[in-house]
Amino acid sequence: MTDELIRLLGVGRTFRSGDIEVRALRDADLEVRRGEYLSIVGPSGSGKSTLLNIIALLDRHTSGTYRFEGTDVTELSEGARTGLRAHRIGFVFQSFHLLAHRTVTENVIMSMLYNSVPPRERRARARAALDRVGLDHRAGFRPGRLSGGERQRVAIARAIATRPAILICDEPTGNLDSASTESVLELFDDLRSDGLTLLVVTHDDAVSARAERIVRMHDGRLSEPVAV
Amino acid sequence: MAVVRLRARLRVRDLFAEALAGLFTRPGRSLLTALGAVLGIASLVATLGIAETAGAQIVTAFDELAATSVVVTNDRGFFGTSQTQAALPWDSEERISRLNGVVAAGTMADVQLGGRLTSAVPVNDPLGLTEFQMPMIAASPGLYAAARGELSTGRWFDRGHSERADRVVVLGTGAAQRLNVTRVDQQPVVFVGDASFAVLGILEDTQRQPELLNALIIPEGTAREMYDLESPTTVQIDVEVGAASLISEQAPIAVSPDDPGAVQVQAPLEPDEVRAGVEEDVNALFLILGGVSLLVGAIGIANVTLVSVLERIGEIGLRRALGAGRRHIAYQFLLESTGVGLFGGVIGASTGVLVVVTVSALRTWTPVMDPRIALAAPVLGALVGLLAGLYPALRASRMAPVDSLRAGAAG
Ligand SMILES: Nc1ncnc2c1ncn2[C@@H]1O[C@H](COP(=O)(O)OP(=O)(O)OP(=O)(O)O)[C@@H](O)[C@H]1O
Ligand SMILES: [Mg+2]
Repeated sequence: MTDELIRLLGVGRTFRSGDIEVRALRDADLEVRRGEYLSIVGPSGSGKSTLLNIIALLDRHTSGTYRFEGTDVTELSEGARTGLRAHRIGFVFQSFHLLAHRTVTENVIMSMLYNSVPPRERRARARAALDRVGLDHRAGFRPGRLSGGERQRVAIARAIATRPAILICDEPTGNLDSASTESVLELFDDLRSDGLTLLVVTHDDAVSARAERIVRMHDGRLSEPVAV
Repeated sequence: MAVVRLRARLRVRDLFAEALAGLFTRPGRSLLTALGAVLGIASLVATLGIAETAGAQIVTAFDELAATSVVVTNDRGFFGTSQTQAALPWDSEERISRLNGVVAAGTMADVQLGGRLTSAVPVNDPLGLTEFQMPMIAASPGLYAAARGELSTGRWFDRGHSERADRVVVLGTGAAQRLNVTRVDQQPVVFVGDASFAVLGILEDTQRQPELLNALIIPEGTAREMYDLESPTTVQIDVEVGAASLISEQAPIAVSPDDPGAVQVQAPLEPDEVRAGVEEDVNALFLILGGVSLLVGAIGIANVTLVSVLERIGEIGLRRALGAGRRHIAYQFLLESTGVGLFGGVIGASTGVLVVVTVSALRTWTPVMDPRIALAAPVLGALVGLLAGLYPALRASRMAPVDSLRAGAAG
């Protein structure tokens, strides 16, 4: 697959608070192809989350051009960006972001509230997604009773239940021990072989080593080493 | 293109389910939050209900007919307390009518017939089957209105009849029945002793002085000339609502200026205006209290909703990341605060109704309440919740997803 999914051309992001300007992202060029497993690594504060938030349409870049599935989203309205988030993008956070008072299934179903998944299909889709991450036996649990690795897999199930074009993960193993990390990485491998596009930010080389392609970040700049 | 069709959406059912889930996540807090609205709505409903119930009791107790009647008599009273018997003047009706607040006035007196019998036929009936002993009352023209009479047929006599001492009579409906007189268009005549009287009309009903209904009623001038009537004995006065106490002071002076104490006055008991005024003040006070507690309740809801927005900042960020639009976030929090207000309104209305019923039972009143109050109360509660939620909901929807996610990362 050489199909372009995401294209960044000279994208920059400058934060301004009062007189202080922080150029968290400078002149970034990046292509993500469909079905690709891409990892972004770099030290803390290098701008990885900033880049990811822009790609996930959670934040707007301040310069350059960003194309998502062929559409220039730079000038897209807030409503249209929200619609894209709801339908085409799955996001996994370092801190899981599961609602403690809802069951695992209810947490997974939440991602289908804001898009076009018919209500009748939600449960089946949630079950399938939980099955995919190997947690169908935890469907009725509350997140508080799950291990860290299980929680992150629930979050991944929530993200893939909407069948997004890309799964974007910001430090997905940052809060996990090595065993849990391994279970998540194995899941990524499985999802990758299903054909899902994966974009994983990490500062852990063991995590990035599983990806097909690694992009390094430093001081807000991207540099692509020779492919491993 | 395709992107345009991919709008984020939130079905109404899902919105309600999410808001409800939000409320039930912390049921204790939701209940406590609703308490302010409960108190406010309950005191409003109770105040309005008790006011209405008490008002209904006063209306029942307040008899318009009695409240507008003043009667002046020159009876010495049962114990003869007055030394002199003041004769009421013949022009009492005119004197009283001049007073402010008088609607109508009329005088009357019993006429002593000395055993004369009344009959509708001229022949002497030895068996006495058509002759009756009947009371006769001499009345002034104004008595008809003052007693609130009602003629079934014919007319009442006027001043001319009295001045000319015309031999005319108005039959009380009871007297008319006994004399078998039903119509006056053929100028029937009744005989009292040897004297004949032309029947002018039949008094069908009267709201005051019911003895008129069984009597032969003749003009005072006629009674003076034929039966040597000395003076009226009773003045019936119809007064405006609220004027009774004033008239009952002025009337004796008007008819007996030399010795006002010589006449007796029957005036209605005025409703205790002071007490009514106090009740009104208390009502206003409770309404203000209800309004204040409702306001406090609203502030409470606003406060707690704001706290919950700040607490759930991570959830807001998550929902935004999952594709919730600003308005979806705003709706959810608005609906939650509205739900709290609605719940407070329902409980408050029930509590208020319960208070009204209890107070009524304790005072043996009949609880009276406009059902619209009980129905409007939950709506008011919901409205309060809605208004209280506006600012927190706006705050929640204004947050940038990235910021909410970062701030709520602990969640
Ligand atoms: N909202 C903001 N306002 C101002 N500066 C910001 C903001 N967000 C990020 N930054 C700055 O941008 C730079 C990059 O931040 P970013 O969070 O992208 O780093 P990161 O590579 O994800 O770091 P980490 O590995 O610690 O998560 C940092 O210097 C940070 O202080
Ligand atoms: Mg980061």
